[in-house]
Amino acid sequence: MLNPLRSEGEAFRFLVYVIVAAAAVIALVLLARALF
Amino acid sequence: MEAGALAHGHATGHHEHEHHGPPQAHRSSRVEPALLGMLLFIISEVMIFGAFFTAYFFIRVVNGDPWPAPGTELPKLIAGVNTAVLISSSFTLHWSETALKADNRRGFQAGIFTTFMLGATFLFVQINEYVHVGFSPQDNAQGTIFYGLTGLHGAHVAVGLTLLAFVCIRGFRGHYSPHEHRGVEVPGIYWHFVDVMWIIVYTTVYII
Repeated sequence: MLNPLRSEGEAFRFLVYVIVAAAAVIALVLLARALF
Repeated sequence: MEAGALAHGHATGHHEHEHHGPPQAHRSSRVEPALLGMLLFIISEVMIFGAFFTAYFFIRVVNGDPWPAPGTELPKLIAGVNTAVLISSSFTLHWSETALKADNRRGFQAGIFTTFMLGATFLFVQINEYVHVGFSPQDNAQGTIFYGLTGLHGAHVAVGLTLLAFVCIRGFRGHYSPHEHRGVEVPGIYWHFVDVMWIIVYTTVYII
């Protein structure tokens, strides 16, 4: 299981996941605004 | 394991010669003290940011106030470029740590120095943004939240830069090795946390 507080490597992997999640949220919100 | 080593030290009579100074602190956790300290610190930090985000969502969702305040505009593009700068600093930090573990001293030094410079650039641009954004914290609730959230994060970047400065100085003095790099690892975890928080701040304050 990923624990971002265990090591620098895992914290970095967690950061990459957050970047991907934030990009997905932004894309969804912008898409919803364009459609409705 | 440690108890076994201690027992071995007593049995062989070497223990008294191995340890000098005050008695070693009692440890009840399996996690290393330095890592445990950072872990607890980051958990408390999440709560502080949570309080600020609560205020943000209160005025936007509960009150339904416009964001940003009418007549004001947030510099999304400049903040976006600044976000890229800060995210890059996490990549250079990871590269630096990886280089250190591979015994690549030059790579480590270049990586950690670049990380520091990228972080300093982020902070400089953030301060420059405050100068030119055109509203103050006391103007309206939106201004208070904007400066509160970005300022809280900026303070964390300043703390992170102080830690990175120490890592840089110690790194250039050759204090770290592939086996002794806790002093890079722990500030590294903090720096990645600061970047994660900025991604959330940027997404909510500037974009959504």
